[in-house]
Amino acid sequence: MSTRMFKIFSVLLAVTMLLGLTMPVAYAQGPCQGSSSQCAVEAAKQFAGTTINYVREAGLQAQDPLTMAPIWEELTGIKVNVIELAYLDMYTKPLQDHLTGGGAYDAIDLSPMWMQDYVNAGALEPLDPYIEKYMNPADMEDFLPVYRSEGVMKIKGVTYGLYDDGDVFILYYRKDLFEDETNKAEFKAKYGYELAPPETEQQMYDAAEFFTNKYAPELYGLAIQRLEGQAYSWFVGPFSGRGGQFFDENMKATINSEIGVQLLTDMVKQNKVMPPGVEKWGFMEVLSAWMDGKVAMIVTWPPIGRWSAGYGDTAKQLAWVPASKVVGKVGYMPQPGGRPTLAGGFNMCISASSNNKEAAYLFIQWMTSPDISLQRVMLPFALRDPYRLSHFNSPLYRSAWPEAGEYLDTLKKAGMAGQYELGIPGAREYMEAVDNALTAAYAGKDPKEALDEAAAKWDAITERLGVENQKKAYEQWLKNPWNRLGPKVELPAE
Amino acid sequence: MAATTEAFTLKSETPRRKRRDLIPWMFVAPCIIIILLVTIFPTVYSLGLSLTKWEIGLQERPFIGLGNYIELFSTARFWHALLITLLVVVIGVSIEFLLGFGLAQTLSGQMKGKRIVVAALLLPVMVMPVVVGYTWRLLWDAQYGPINQIIGWIIGQPFTYTWLAKTETALLAILVTEIWQWTPFMFLVFLSGLAVLDPEIFEAADIDGASGWAKLWYITLPLMRPIIVVALLIRGLDALKFFDIIFTLTGGGPGNSTETLSFYIYQMGYQFFRLGYGAAASFVLLVFLAMFLTYLLKAFKSAVGS
Repeated sequence: MSTRMFKIFSVLLAVTMLLGLTMPVAYAQGPCQGSSSQCAVEAAKQFAGTTINYVREAGLQAQDPLTMAPIWEELTGIKVNVIELAYLDMYTKPLQDHLTGGGAYDAIDLSPMWMQDYVNAGALEPLDPYIEKYMNPADMEDFLPVYRSEGVMKIKGVTYGLYDDGDVFILYYRKDLFEDETNKAEFKAKYGYELAPPETEQQMYDAAEFFTNKYAPELYGLAIQRLEGQAYSWFVGPFSGRGGQFFDENMKATINSEIGVQLLTDMVKQNKVMPPGVEKWGFMEVLSAWMDGKVAMIVTWPPIGRWSAGYGDTAKQLAWVPASKVVGKVGYMPQPGGRPTLAGGFNMCISASSNNKEAAYLFIQWMTSPDISLQRVMLPFALRDPYRLSHFNSPLYRSAWPEAGEYLDTLKKAGMAGQYELGIPGAREYMEAVDNALTAAYAGKDPKEALDEAAAKWDAITERLGVENQKKAYEQWLKNPWNRLGPKVELPAE
Repeated sequence: MAATTEAFTLKSETPRRKRRDLIPWMFVAPCIIIILLVTIFPTVYSLGLSLTKWEIGLQERPFIGLGNYIELFSTARFWHALLITLLVVVIGVSIEFLLGFGLAQTLSGQMKGKRIVVAALLLPVMVMPVVVGYTWRLLWDAQYGPINQIIGWIIGQPFTYTWLAKTETALLAILVTEIWQWTPFMFLVFLSGLAVLDPEIFEAADIDGASGWAKLWYITLPLMRPIIVVALLIRGLDALKFFDIIFTLTGGGPGNSTETLSFYIYQMGYQFFRLGYGAAASFVLLVFLAMFLTYLLKAFKSAVGS
């Protein structure tokens, strides 16, 4: 090599090294072009030594951040203190903290239905400036459209949360029972059509009745969570699918419409083909019965699909989950009725009272980035469910167990057809009124009377919070196609 | 000169006396400040809060005078919660009293194995109410609960009644749970009360040929009156604030059928963030507690006096 060539090579090498050294800084100071996770890590290093308090649902939910926090600390020097709260306390405690000016929490997990209340209270930090500064724009497009829409991550066009949990109800059914030739013949003889994984509520009821009549008490046809507190989640999707509406044009409650009353009547009827005492069954009871092979169908959240397949069942965090007796026997369908409930779900948000907003934001960007979030939704014990296009398409995830591809496709299909729970100010109170109506009807009250009472409560809430205010909030909320009620999601033309 | 000395003495003593007068106040000052901060201030603050419309869904907190109280008294759910609270106080505490007194009477004499029996009887009261709630929820379970199992054995066929999900029986199940937990408290108080009664009075009654019933009615109960009033006072106040077992067993359901006043306040204040309304409901509960306390304290005074 000539001296001249050596000099040119040396200069090029020096420039390359300099670029290499300054690249992370460039990530931190301008729009991120590479991996959003790497950009977050590099930018977060300036906050090394900080501790951020992150609110997460107690129990298994918290295992995910407890696993990831040490990795984040190793990479950035930022410690994450995971504060575990019961699900309903996650709505109340951070809000109390904000109202009393506490500043105890930096990052918080919030259900989309709580977002309006939090935004109205000024409790959330707008994330758009941070997103613009630190996130690769392509990664925003990677969220499944249903999860990045208005009323979910955004309120009135402002981003307040990064979506982190693709919660949607799907139906799990026992393939072996549905494919059994004797069952098929007996079912057809009785109901006049083929026994198949149900797409409609009537088909689900018929199949449930058939299996219960044939196998109970060893096995029941169906189990659905009916316990007070979140019973309303199983009302919302079918109510929308049948064409029910929450309010009329004057903001009067219409949950007690004929559709609502008929649905509740049907739900009460369903209890008769479910295990005795199902009115007090929560998540754990449904899970145990299903894993033990005691029910033919359940309608519930996505994690049960992974656990019933035996995926990662040796993880110590899953020691409390009953061993699956249904491995290889499980099929998946969206919740029957056309509009599966998008029940719960979580946004990761930043508290407006936080003293470490930027560090907290970088943490949630890292957690929800495509590569890190894929690792998280694949943690066997995680309760976070796939929500990015890259999750649904991941070859790694699709090969996690033999039916994983079918499972992911069902989740995506159910999500894209889903119906969100009401997310306007006072949402918790509105939904609690429905919950009371459901449990009262399960206890024997006339469904119409129960729903009339709920509708009266809804009108009182609306009146109290201001009819015009609520109307505006509702109209804003309806801008999201997955919030609009009806048999099908009407997506705007591209 | 003498006058000057006297004046000097008076002058120097006055500040000293003042200081001396202040010393007791300085000792109690921390206590008074703490009480003012943690009791008086929050009470006054929440009284002010109860006169405003402070809700999470609203941007402003306007003063509405007695608006929250008017709404409260015109809400059927509030009156229902009050009724349930009174039912728990009247029925629950009465049964606890009767059972506790009966057990104490039975075990007040000398008997073999008394210590073990007493210790066993006291166990429920030592368990956290939340743990009691969750344990009884399992006991009342329709499919796997021992209660249904036992009934099934007795009637000779599977029994799967859902006690906690039926309006007719949910409150009954709550009362049974509540009575199970708190009867031992009554028992303990009465047992210690019976232990200090003068045996000579009973011996004299025996010599006079008094029957067991006469001794109970004319000697034991009158002598035990102050203790009975204190036990009722403690349990009554506690029952008026009844919350934990409702929360764990039924969550106020089915519908709102087992909601007590405390549970209602919790829902309004801490679940729906109707802070003004919740504060108004708390004040109403406070007034009930104050009335109950005043009545029982009067009863206590007359009992001690007699």
